[in-house]
Amino acid sequence: MTRSVEVAFAVARKDLTSEWRTRELVPALGQFVVLALVIANFGFQIDSQNAATIAPGVLWLALVFAGLVAFGRAFAAEREQASLEAMLLTPASPVAIFAGKALAAALLLIACEVVLLPALALLFGTPLNVALVAAVLLATVGMAALGCLFAAMVARVRAREVLLPLLTLPLWIPFIIAGGQAVQVAMGASGSYNQAVALLIDFDILFVVLTSLAARFVLDD
Amino acid sequence: MSTILAHQLTQRFGPDLALDAVDLVLDKGEHLAVLGENGAGKTTLLRILATAARPSSGQLELFGLNAMRERRRLRALIGFVAHAPGLYPALSAAENLEFFGSLHGVGRARVAETLELVGLADVANRPAGRLSRGEQQRLAIGRAVLHDPRLLILDEPDASLDSGGADLLARVMHGRSAVLATHDHALANRLCQRTEVLRSGRSLGAGTRLRVVQ
Amino acid sequence: MTKTYERLTAVAVLLMLLAAGMIFLYAPEDYLQKEPQRIFYLHVSAAIAAFACFLAVLVGSVIYLRTENARADRLARAAALVGVVLTTVTLVMGMLYAKPIWGTFWTWDARLTSTLVLWIIYAGYLLLRRLAEPGPQVARYAAVAGIFGFVDVPIVYFSVTWWRTVHPGPVIVTNALPPEMLITFLVTMACTLFLAAVMVGIRYRIETLLDEAPSGAEATIRGTQREPELAR
Repeated sequence: MTRSVEVAFAVARKDLTSEWRTRELVPALGQFVVLALVIANFGFQIDSQNAATIAPGVLWLALVFAGLVAFGRAFAAEREQASLEAMLLTPASPVAIFAGKALAAALLLIACEVVLLPALALLFGTPLNVALVAAVLLATVGMAALGCLFAAMVARVRAREVLLPLLTLPLWIPFIIAGGQAVQVAMGASGSYNQAVALLIDFDILFVVLTSLAARFVLDD
Repeated sequence: MSTILAHQLTQRFGPDLALDAVDLVLDKGEHLAVLGENGAGKTTLLRILATAARPSSGQLELFGLNAMRERRRLRALIGFVAHAPGLYPALSAAENLEFFGSLHGVGRARVAETLELVGLADVANRPAGRLSRGEQQRLAIGRAVLHDPRLLILDEPDASLDSGGADLLARVMHGRSAVLATHDHALANRLCQRTEVLRSGRSLGAGTRLRVVQ
Repeated sequence: MTKTYERLTAVAVLLMLLAAGMIFLYAPEDYLQKEPQRIFYLHVSAAIAAFACFLAVLVGSVIYLRTENARADRLARAAALVGVVLTTVTLVMGMLYAKPIWGTFWTWDARLTSTLVLWIIYAGYLLLRRLAEPGPQVARYAAVAGIFGFVDVPIVYFSVTWWRTVHPGPVIVTNALPPEMLITFLVTMACTLFLAAVMVGIRYRIETLLDEAPSGAEATIRGTQREPELAR
């Protein structure tokens, strides 16, 4: 058990060190989410009246697509370098390797949220509070688990850029429904924040357990 | 107990037959060279022996264990040098080995020792992406022996090695069982006691050194 | 072998004609919804048959992951295809039903949304199977996708219900249907399930033949040339 935790942290640290040295992904993702906000502004004719109703949707759209890029990249890079196989040919548990990859990818997406959330508050004039950040972070956990599982799967398939969103987005819908509700309430709409967050926590637990059960079948062959 | 006991290994990729009923036996400490043209099935065979791929049919026993079921236990006993080096370009040579060492559960002392063994101690802190092709190959060989495996599987490791490459291979193969795929008959003769020739996925039979030379 | 399948198909077609006869001639016209209500019988039956197919995908996937039995994988493949076809039927008939009754083809309520997500998930499942190299690896990937898809649909349904809903609740279990309508519905459902089983059986046979076909035959059977290796 402790071995697995060590392996997971070693894998995550390796990914984060690589990203820190090359700065390949996070700056691009940060720029991408800001661009998404600019495009939303033109698409929706945003003004001070409608900003609060549109902003949550813009937030989730930007986050979902940034997430697809981040998780896809996590395994595509390993595949290009043929290093995924080298990792799997050690006695380390595939589930621990998967957990490390998912942890690193989730942290990279959080780094991108650090850009997205203040930018949204600044450009759309919506509030930025603890409730909002907590809801987004909770959704990130489950989305990272699911996204990485399917990214690991499509890394070895043709047309992976197309397949990853097709397989992942439908499974993310529960997170977007509950997370969307929580963010709307955090931005001032009426509704139950606690219920939405409780739902997010339930989904997180469910999908983290399910993905760790399934990771063995996806990674080991 | 043989190190490798393979019976009728067959690998299909869709309609293509990459490996056709190959039998193989390797005894403890023995070195076997697998010769053949490109596309003869050398890589396919070696990947199956290294537990990196599952055959479509056939049986494989490594160290007396069923290779389909005991994969994780076997991986501690096998070192594999694949076609691609499989390194992290942003991490230094030492960091690459330290990372794989942590997956194997071996310490830093062993990493320094291995860098010395493959002759990379001088460039230990250079990012793997900035090493020459030959140095990357040495690093990949270093990773394969990091956990002191009892069986070494080498897929054309000489392809990008420089003049000292043969000596390095002799050093790492010493005291271990090994399977070496190569085009180089002279190298095969120098390093291995036996050879196996593959053509279009079929075994053309095993030979001793002399038969292949003739 | 072929003879058996031809006979079963003929029986299924006759049963569906019987169901059609009952829907249009035997079942009474609905007092409120008039003629469009007759869509209900096949709409709900197709949905139940689709659900049965996806249940078969789940069972096949779980068995495959546990035993690596190729037959379980073939069952999952066959059932997924038939399930997607039946879900398409459900969605199209549902839209035709909704237009005169609700005044719109589509509304984002729980049942509609989750059925659409169901369709997307299993269409993605079929695409995964098509785009990956054939072999044990894709079978395992597809099994994982099949299991996650099945788990996700009730969750989407629950989430949207929690969010908002307008779709009518289950009417069958609450005894709200008059007896003629209930009989018509049960007959239609039985016939549709039989049709679905026959289609899954035929598809299973096709998958078996494809698996056992010698090199190159797959391209001939499918009528497509495999892409050259470099194009991937």
